[in-house]
Formats: sequence, C-alpha cells, structure tokens
Amino acid sequence: MNLTQYISLVDTMARMSLKADASRYFFGYIWWVLEPLLYVLVFYVVFELILQNRKEDFLVFLMVGKLTFIWFTKSVNQSARSIVNSGGLISKANVSKTLFPLATVQEGLYKQLSVFLLLLVVLLGNGYAITSAWVWLIPLVVVNYIVIVACSLVSAFLVSMVFDFIVMVSLGTIFLLFVSGIFWDPRDLADPAATDLILLLNPLAFVIDAYRQILMAGVAPDAWHLLGIGAGFGLLALGMVLVLRRSSQFIALKVLTS
Amino acid sequence: MSADGLQAAAVPVEDSRRVMLELRNVSHSFHARKDSFEHGVHKVLDGVSLKVMEGETLGIIGRNGAGKTTMLRLMAGIFAPTSGEILRHPGANCSLLSLGLGFQPQLSGRDNALLSAMLRGYSRREAEACLEDIREFSELGQSFDEPVKTYSSGMNARLGFTTALLTKVDILLIDEVLSVGDAQFRQKAEEAMRDRISGGRTAVFVSHAEGQVKKLCGRVIWIEDGLVRAEGDPEQVLRQYRPPPAPAAGGGSPPRPGSGPPGHRG
Repeated sequence: MNLTQYISLVDTMARMSLKADASRYFFGYIWWVLEPLLYVLVFYVVFELILQNRKEDFLVFLMVGKLTFIWFTKSVNQSARSIVNSGGLISKANVSKTLFPLATVQEGLYKQLSVFLLLLVVLLGNGYAITSAWVWLIPLVVVNYIVIVACSLVSAFLVSMVFDFIVMVSLGTIFLLFVSGIFWDPRDLADPAATDLILLLNPLAFVIDAYRQILMAGVAPDAWHLLGIGAGFGLLALGMVLVLRRSSQFIALKVLTS
Repeated sequence: MSADGLQAAAVPVEDSRRVMLELRNVSHSFHARKDSFEHGVHKVLDGVSLKVMEGETLGIIGRNGAGKTTMLRLMAGIFAPTSGEILRHPGANCSLLSLGLGFQPQLSGRDNALLSAMLRGYSRREAEACLEDIREFSELGQSFDEPVKTYSSGMNARLGFTTALLTKVDILLIDEVLSVGDAQFRQKAEEAMRDRISGGRTAVFVSHAEGQVKKLCGRVIWIEDGLVRAEGDPEQVLRQYRPPPAPAAGGGSPPRPGSGPPGHRG
C-alpha cells in the first residue's frame, strides 16, 4: 500500500466511523457541536455562576480554551483504545497498526472543523473582529494537530502493550485539564515568571493561550516557541510510527492473546 | 525484506515448481492470560516445517485448537514466529481471505464493501469500481444500501464472502470460509473459490469439511498438538485423520483424533 492509498484509507475509515457513530444517535451529526457546548455549559455554571468568576468575557475565554482542549482529550482518549478495539481486523489482516489511532485522530479533526466554525460565530457575535493575527491560526492548528497525533500514537501503543495504561491516559488528560489554563488564565498569575514557566513546560497550555491571544487579543504567538513544539512533537510522532511499524506483529499478538 | 517485515529470501528449487512459501522449524507460543491462572507459556506450534509450492492448493486439517489458524496468521505475517523462519518467494505477497474484514454493523453493505476492499489494498477508485459487481454477486439487491445490522446471517455471510473474493494476492490463505449462506449460495461460493484457486494460484486451505478438502486440495497436512502428524495425498491423510466425536455432556478433554503415525516435526 503506497502513501496515497494509506492516507485515503485513513480518511475513509474516519468518515465511515463518523457515519456509523452518527447513525447510533437520535440527534446524529448535531452532537458534534452539541456535546462540546454542553461541556462548556457545565464549566460556565460551575465557574461563572457558582464560583462567581470575575474574569471579563469569561464565556468566550472558556469556550476558546475548552473547545480546543476537548479536541485534544477526546482524540487521545479514543485513540488509546483504538488498537485494542480493532482485534477483529487485526486477527484477519496484517495491517499497519498506525491506521487505527490515525483514523481516530482524523475523525476528531473532521468534528473539530464544525466546532471551529461554531467558535467563529460566537467570537463575531460577541464583537470580536477578524484581525491580521488570525493568519497565525493556520500554523497553530497544524501544530495542535501534530501534538494530538503524537500523543494519540503514544497512548495507543502503550495501551496495546499493557491495557492498564488506559487508566494513566485518562488520569493524564484530567491532570492536563487542571494545569493547562482552561478555566483560569496563566497570564493572571501574580508572578510573570510563573506564567512563563507554565507556558514553557506545558505545550498544551501554550497552544491554548496562543488561540486566546490570536482570537481575543489579536496578538501573534511566539513563532519560535510554536515551531519548537511542532518540531518536537513531529519527531515524537515519526518515532512512534517507526515503533508501531517495527512492533506490528508483537502488538497483534498482545491484542489477540492478552 | 518483504513489505510486512518478514524475512523473504530466495527459496531453493527442489522440484519443477517454485517454493512460494516455506516454514522452517517454526514454533509459536505466547504467555497465557494471568486471570486464567495459567501463568505459563502456551505453545501453539512446535518446530513445524513445510513448503507450499507454486500453483498448488495445500489443505490443513486438525481439530479445534490444533494450531491451524495460528499457522495461517504466521503465514499471513499477522504474527511473527517465536522461533524459526518463514520464507517467501521474493515479491510474493500472502494474505488471509477473511469474511467481513472491517465490517461495521451501522454502515450499509455498500460502505462496508468499500471499506473492506480498501483494507485489502484497493485504491478508493478501484474499490468503488467493484461495488456493483459485489452487489450483483452477493444477490443483496436494494438491501446493499441498507445497514448491515438489518441483514440476516445469510445475507451477512454473502456480503462477507463476496468482498473476501476481492483479495488480490499471490498466496491465498483460506480459513473455513466456504460454509456460507444457503445451499444455493454455498454452491456458487464453492465454484467461485474453485475458479480462484484453479487458475494456477497458490493457496493454503483450512477446513473441517473433508469433501471440500478432497475437491480443492492437491496435498494435505494434518496438524495436531502443534506438530505435523501426517502429510501427503488428501485421501491418505484424511483416512488417518478422523474428526473427534462430540464431547460428552459434562466436559472433559476431547479424545485424540485418529490413529495416525507418530508425530514428527514437519
């Protein structure tokens, strides 16, 4: 199978999975937008209405953070199970094990496109204007996608080797929810050095902050920092592709016998 | 190296036909599940050696759990052997003819056929070009565009078998796929399968059905307890192998089949 066929297969698997998924629900494709909105609503009720958050324009701030964070967590959590859930197919054909997490990530990307559209409507409806800084959304979305691909490949590999890692993946995404500035702003910290440290150590916090900087403040992100995250996670993704290819038959044995 | 990473070296020629696939002293084992209280290693194949010649249909028989399916998975490159070598003729690819590859019950027969064909290595365009033929052969009519979850088991099997026929390989590995659908479709399936493997194609065929093995195979291997128990002419090997009687109610280990020659390692 050549690269074009492989990409076409990943795309077809993702589209078919979306179709199958939508057919299970009464509201079908509406859930692509409805589910993230309900997540935002839950956070809004807790932090704005109950905890009386004082942050200006908190709803938009929360939506930008939460809607981009959900893209990451859902993709990584679903990819984590993607290989072990494909035992039927793995038992019948010597297929590349990268197919399963990558098709899951692609599925998440297609859903996220409609979420980004919703975000655009919310931003424009709340008086935010499209500025020249929005051009930075292109490299930012690409880097965000690379981060998701790399983390999805790592989680899918670990869970296929030892299923217990599924607990760690789930806990890890909850940990990231609290430390990535979804419902709080790293820039509001009293010590600017602490802000810099969080944005440096947590790539997801940097990416979410970059979305807010571009969309809400009209400010371009630190290009070198963005490039560094893209390159680092790009290398991790390539390394994981090699690991999954080299251990393809061992993964099949683990999935089918444990 | 072959595409799937298995070693593929030039195989020596021993008769007029080329050796397409060779297992050399292949053993396969895995660690049993911990929750089954079997902490030890489960040995499936133990030093098996065999050759598959170009254009022949090799039959593999043996009781359930004898290691037939594992052997096909090793040949297909799904598993790597724990020890030993699997050699293929350079450039020859090898895969399982499997029913319902990648099928999802929520999707229509058409979508499943498309996905299944692409998983077998077809490009999207090639897969789309096959869809009408699949609809016709599987006799699904308008149901082809309805979700597979609404199909009867016979319809499901017809779609599964028809998409399985798309497999394009040099060495076809067939695992119990001919018992599909009703009697009329079964006959059609058998004919289609005979056409596929009579045209000089190399095939390995696993079945419990003696009639099918006799009709389709030129040579038969009997696998028992991970060892090759007998090998040769289908009539002769099938005579040695007798399927075990159904186990009596209340369990107990099934009796050993047949009274064949002592086990040898390939």
